[in-house]
Amino acid sequence: MSITGPARGGNEVSPASPVLTLRSVSKAFGAVQALREVSVDCRAGEIHALVGENGSGKSTLLGIASGFLAPDDGTVVIGEVERRRVSPAESRQLGLGIAYQTYSHVLHLSVAENLYLAAPSDLRPTYGRMDGWAADRLAEFDLQLSPSAPTGALSLAERQLLEVVKALLPQPKVLLLDEPTTALGPEDVDRLHALVHERSRAGVGIVYVSHRLPEVLGIADRISVLRDGVCQGTFEAASMSEEGLVALMIGRPLQLAFPPRHEREAEREVLLAVSGLRGDRFGPIDLEVASGEIVGIAGAEGNGQVQFLRALAGAERATGTATCAGKQLDSSSPLGPLRAGVVLLSGDRASESLFPVLSVRANSTIQVLRRLGKLGLLNRRRERRTVGELVQRLSIRAASIEQPVQTLSGGNQQKVSLTRPFLRGDVKVILAEEPTQGVDVAARFDIYGALRDKSKEGVATIVKSSDPLELAGLCDRVVVMSRGLIVDEIPGDELGERRIVEAIVGSRAGAREAAAHTEDGPA
Amino acid sequence: MRIGQARGALPLVLMTVLILAVGSFATVRQDAFLTSFNLNNLLLLAMPLALVSLGQTCALLVGGFDVSVAALMTFCVVVASYTMAFDKTGWALIPGGLVLILVGLATGIFNAVIIRVLKLPSIIATLGTFSILEGASLLLRDHPEGPISSGAVDGLTRGIGFVPIAFITVVVLAVLGDLWLYRTRTGLAMRAVGLDETSSRRLGMATGRMVFVAFVLCSVMASLAGLYLAAQVQIGSPLIGNYGLESIAAAVLGGASLAGGRGSFVGALLAALFLSLIDNVLPLFHQPTEYSQMTIGVLILLALVLYSAPELLARFRTSRAGVGRLETGDGDAAAG
Repeated sequence: MSITGPARGGNEVSPASPVLTLRSVSKAFGAVQALREVSVDCRAGEIHALVGENGSGKSTLLGIASGFLAPDDGTVVIGEVERRRVSPAESRQLGLGIAYQTYSHVLHLSVAENLYLAAPSDLRPTYGRMDGWAADRLAEFDLQLSPSAPTGALSLAERQLLEVVKALLPQPKVLLLDEPTTALGPEDVDRLHALVHERSRAGVGIVYVSHRLPEVLGIADRISVLRDGVCQGTFEAASMSEEGLVALMIGRPLQLAFPPRHEREAEREVLLAVSGLRGDRFGPIDLEVASGEIVGIAGAEGNGQVQFLRALAGAERATGTATCAGKQLDSSSPLGPLRAGVVLLSGDRASESLFPVLSVRANSTIQVLRRLGKLGLLNRRRERRTVGELVQRLSIRAASIEQPVQTLSGGNQQKVSLTRPFLRGDVKVILAEEPTQGVDVAARFDIYGALRDKSKEGVATIVKSSDPLELAGLCDRVVVMSRGLIVDEIPGDELGERRIVEAIVGSRAGAREAAAHTEDGPA
Repeated sequence: MRIGQARGALPLVLMTVLILAVGSFATVRQDAFLTSFNLNNLLLLAMPLALVSLGQTCALLVGGFDVSVAALMTFCVVVASYTMAFDKTGWALIPGGLVLILVGLATGIFNAVIIRVLKLPSIIATLGTFSILEGASLLLRDHPEGPISSGAVDGLTRGIGFVPIAFITVVVLAVLGDLWLYRTRTGLAMRAVGLDETSSRRLGMATGRMVFVAFVLCSVMASLAGLYLAAQVQIGSPLIGNYGLESIAAAVLGGASLAGGRGSFVGALLAALFLSLIDNVLPLFHQPTEYSQMTIGVLILLALVLYSAPELLARFRTSRAGVGRLETGDGDAAAG
């Protein structure tokens, strides 16, 4: 809590006692000051949202509260206990539960084993009864997962829900949720929020980090804003608007505008044509995308949208045909589509699209090195200049282009993966899976702008997103997928958040029973 | 988990089958093989590799390597030629053995500190230790000299029938080790640390301490292996055997993954027995030992391919099944 927060001027009704207090916490990573004397508290029973752009220090702050990171200065108070630094085990013992943005799953172990490791000693059964115990816990949270399934086989949404369950296992007095809804569809978001409300009514203090401002305004009691590692104040949620929050987050009012759709010349040529494509969890699908067009794919999570995109990019097996600019796509491996100019921007940035330890420069140019050199030798100066220009154009925030991408914030990482289609002159189709997942507001609009820029150059784009607002603002046309099929198509003049949500919900009513049968866990 | 268990059992089965196969072949073809003298000899011969492989498994479990074990074993042999010199009685075994264990402890702590505190990769850190210990051995004995007390050797090789007591102890150790690894929470935590250290730390595990303990255990086991090597060569020889790579080979044949988090002590023991068996059998058939080297190399490659097969198959099957299920048409999808 910051004294400087405008809304805290008057003395409100006696606040409940704080369950978590961070006292003027500072933390630097090398030359970057991630946090500067930040003080925040979370009271019993309140939902305290923490907002800020990517890289503003939210995750660092939570990491310090949970003991995963050691602060350079300042203290952490959990309940009554004040510490310079806690250990993760100690913070859990003191009643702090945390769901990390990047999860704490050991992917090669089973769901049951992961739950077991997350449980405190007094709530753990004997080792032999682990599976039954885990099944009970999963049932308690209404999560349909097989305890013996390897965690690595779960979908991103399932992993995210499992992370929340793990945080709740020790029955914490204070619960930290770091971007808990990035991979969730609207239905799961509602379920999660119901759970959060229930816990807060039971007296649990909740710190909720999210980049989705409508979500934050809908759920939070108080909101703290971080900008560049400095707390901009703590405010009553009721007194805040989205615009007000954004202004605090970025330090200036932001024009929340999607890039304008360009005038569509009558009858553009069809660039990507898919017919009868079917594979794991989707199909048969027929879809045509014209050059310069951005087509959105909407639908509840897990209805084959991701598999469809991946199959098009050759990252998953499928039968049927797809042509790009009239030529048949060889989708037996990612190489064929890549050569044909079809680029997939994977939603799983960390493991599928970026090389975390390599620099911004290396990550950008890795596909086009041949063009940047002569006789097999790289022209470093030319490479640096090219990347430097793109870094400016996409406003990537990095100390230098030599900074490893793993040290960048999520939004900036995503922008780095976006530099690739810009560097290749021959890109014809961009397949973007959740292009703004975990990305803050300002960066999101940079990304929208970048995608629209490419489409103006004649690129055909497919965007899979779980955010209806994003689809409505960005796309020329949206198709809705359910049970692996395209069940609805919304033309540009009808596009709107409401229309998309209705289409998703409408298509889901009938699909739900079938889904219960076909998706009974990753068997 | 089912996949994990299949992968866990496969090395044990394969190693047992190979031991039985080579063993029965040798029994049929060579009368000298299945004699209590030869079996006793074989088991004693296997002791150093068995002990050091158990230690190496610890290091591999937490995602590291220890290549210093070979030099440590040699250093122990050299030290034993002083602490258990020829003119001493069998009682010298107790203080002598303790000194070796202390040497192991000190080396292990040295390795662990470099790896955890100075954050050097374990392969580099232990390579440094390897050179230091190699030099120290040569400093103490620049050529093989200093016979080892026969009383101490008798004590180490004592047996019930043809089975050395030490071997029984190692079997018990390996079984207890696997029970710990796959039937307790701390064992699970150890594997988790090897599989994903960041997640393990987030889950509140003392990851640093676990890696530390694993490397200390590895060195202590290597020093015990050095003790049995001393009983075998019976002289203070500074010549270094190939135990570093062989122990990694045995651990991997026994099911350990170089990426960490997977392994079996019983598997490593069986693999050590198997490698020693090949060394033992070839001379009986008057075959040059070069063949054993090559055989071992080929077997390691084959075994690794075989071990990763279940996962590859499972992945292949699920992706096929997925496609098949949807191809039955949307109306039938619910029925499947």
